Amino acid sequence: MEVKTQMKGKVNVISLVGDLDSNTAPATEAEMSKQIVAGCCLALDLSKLRYISSAGLRVLLMIGKQLKTQGGRWAFCGLSDEIADIMEMTGFSGFFTVYPDLKTALDNLSANQE
Amino acid sequence: MTNRIDLHPTHSHGEFKLRAGKPLPFGATLVPGGVNFSVFSRYATACSLVLFKKHAAQPFAEIPFPREFRTGNVFSMILFDVDYENIEYGYRMDGPYDPENGHRFDKEKILLDPYAKLVSGRDVWGKEPDWNNIFPHRGQILADDFDWEDDCQLEIPFEDLVIYEMHVRGFTAHASAKVKHPGTFAAIRDKIPYLKDLGINCLELMPVHTFDEFENSKLSPVTGERLLNYWGYSNVGFFAPKAGFAATGKFGMQADELKNTIKTLHKNGIEVILDVVFNHTAEGNERGHYISYRGIDNKTYYMLTPEGYYYNFSGCGNTLNCNNPIVRNMILDCLRYWVTDYHVDGFRFDLAAILGRDQNGAPMSSPPLLETLAFDPILGKCKLIAEAWDAGGLYQVGSFPSWGRWAEWNGKYRDDLRKFLKGEPGLAGAVSQRIQGSPDLYQWEARENCASVNFITCHDGFTLMDMVSYNGKHNEANGENNSDGGNDNHSWNCGWEGPCDDKEVNRLRIRQIKNAAAMLLVSHGTPMILAGDEFGNTQYGNNNAYCQDNELSWLNWEQLSENAEIHNFFRQMIAFRKASPMLRYSSYAMNAAPDVEVSWHGTSAWNADWSGAARTVAFMCRRWQSDERRTVEPDIYVAMNMHWDAHGFELPGLDNGRRWHVFANTGMESPDDIVTPGNEILLDNQQYFMVGPRSVIVLVGK
Repeated sequence: MEVKTQMKGKVNVISLVGDLDSNTAPATEAEMSKQIVAGCCLALDLSKLRYISSAGLRVLLMIGKQLKTQGGRWAFCGLSDEIADIMEMTGFSGFFTVYPDLKTALDNLSANQE
Repeated sequence: MTNRIDLHPTHSHGEFKLRAGKPLPFGATLVPGGVNFSVFSRYATACSLVLFKKHAAQPFAEIPFPREFRTGNVFSMILFDVDYENIEYGYRMDGPYDPENGHRFDKEKILLDPYAKLVSGRDVWGKEPDWNNIFPHRGQILADDFDWEDDCQLEIPFEDLVIYEMHVRGFTAHASAKVKHPGTFAAIRDKIPYLKDLGINCLELMPVHTFDEFENSKLSPVTGERLLNYWGYSNVGFFAPKAGFAATGKFGMQADELKNTIKTLHKNGIEVILDVVFNHTAEGNERGHYISYRGIDNKTYYMLTPEGYYYNFSGCGNTLNCNNPIVRNMILDCLRYWVTDYHVDGFRFDLAAILGRDQNGAPMSSPPLLETLAFDPILGKCKLIAEAWDAGGLYQVGSFPSWGRWAEWNGKYRDDLRKFLKGEPGLAGAVSQRIQGSPDLYQWEARENCASVNFITCHDGFTLMDMVSYNGKHNEANGENNSDGGNDNHSWNCGWEGPCDDKEVNRLRIRQIKNAAAMLLVSHGTPMILAGDEFGNTQYGNNNAYCQDNELSWLNWEQLSENAEIHNFFRQMIAFRKASPMLRYSSYAMNAAPDVEVSWHGTSAWNADWSGAARTVAFMCRRWQSDERRTVEPDIYVAMNMHWDAHGFELPGLDNGRRWHVFANTGMESPDDIVTPGNEILLDNQQYFMVGPRSVIVLVGK
């Protein structure tokens, strides 16, 4: 699992590449936590995420909670149909804002910022 | 506190870092840095933890519990640095093999943890297993931190429930259900708008604990199709949801999917009751196989004869030793777990009379297990519903030990109503008791009205459509020469066995279904509807579809449009019940003044015919003269004519200038059979009503 980051304007785009499960969850959570600063704005690009397990979804939930306490915002994009479906059925999607692709996510995140 | 000194390894076994674990809680629990494993066995002489990589044929590790890891009869160990989602675990136990004295230890077997929270092995429903798997049902480790937000048990009063009994798979497996993931927990969510529209506020799910659909599977002699253990009344794991019922089961996310389904149902005002099967397990009798309990502690978990054979009060080979203190605690732990971790609203106990037998099988007057459950603080607001009989001949409808907490599936309600419906004479007296919540069965104990769960059909037996379409069962497809399933169906085919083209026969069937729906939904007590009955679902005369995982048992949603008038009738009757507080009468305790004046009538008002020839009876509900609600709530009058001729009924008079209006009349063709509550039609003749052959009328006085 690789965590890549790149600034696009005022939005920090984080890409997860590989499998997110109990094996990679602790390191991924630590890596993502580093990106959280007060009032930050993140776009989570999951288009290169191959597989996400229950432990992986919990990482996203934990990051979401950290972000909230820091007054940050984020949105997801690039979910495969299968991952979107899993998130929907297990109730995780209710906690996140999801956009179909990175451009839409950036447009919305930037628009809300101004 | 993450810097405790007892969170560091003290032992090692090869590459594995260990320390003595905590005996409680039992099972595998995530703790900081690792997993705490804990398992009970009174008679095992040695135990080891067996670990597999997910889906691997052979274990990659086997770690014996050293002496200092055992406290009393409990082996416990913390294993550090575990990739917990990618391992499967079991136990190997050594001890005596001495069946005459109750022991069946076999150290060749790898055993499932009785407290496993996830079980893999049947992850996708109906997928043929590898029969050579040395450990077919494997424990997995669950992260139990589901985010429930502010969800909690709904605590809908018992008398306000309208229960809908369903098989998770059968509810949406048919293509006509038009859901994304047929036959799953997730698909129930897709049907919530339908359930709400119908007026359902409680789902009773047939077994969702882990079971093996391939247990005793065989080919049907009729269709050649493989017969499965479709119903699942045969437990492999009491703490783990059935993975094959979850669209996400192949990813090991069945627990999250079920929790999310319950959370969504709760948001929509619908409770969830689980059908739990604590009377036996899937391990069978002496010739059965090892899954868990018989290899972990046979003598503790099962009721055994003095010679060491299995008692068979369940009719399924063995009997769980429910009143052994260890097993009693396991059942309590299990139910508490489903309440705290799954927010379940209640339980229906399969063959519950067994839970009141002592360790030798004798019925007890005050069974400790049932008493414990009745008074348990965590289960304190749960619905507890007993199927108050067992396969060993113990029949306790009306006498099941209740402590004011237990309700019963009222089998007498079903039988009396069915006999009355088919036109047997002399049932007016019995039916009057059933419709009042069966005070003859429950008043002696001053039980609340919630004692009686009223039903005419359930998963066990004919569907409602089949009850009016078949005189006898037709179970040939089950492969047991039609010898399985009950023979006391009290059914009547209306003149032709099975489907037919005769318009009159079909009209009569629909009328009989409406009669049943009307009677059920005006009865005091808690009504239960079998899923699909509201649109005339058929099982083609099979009254024991336990092995039929196919269109025979799956709900065919196309019938919803074909039988729209049946569906509408159910829907309006449920709405009428909800709009009529007098039908949801909360108590008939002997010392409390009853809330509703119920009077009984016949073809002449105030003069019911209780004779042995009677096939008609009528009743009226109203508030007492002194009750201010009398002027607000409409009076209700219901006349039931189960005779083949029409009969005129003299209507009781109304006061305060009220007049009788028709809400339902099953003798009329749709759409004149029923209206929406509040739109009842004024009667021209306020003195007399001609009730058609085999028909029910529901009137309101307002």
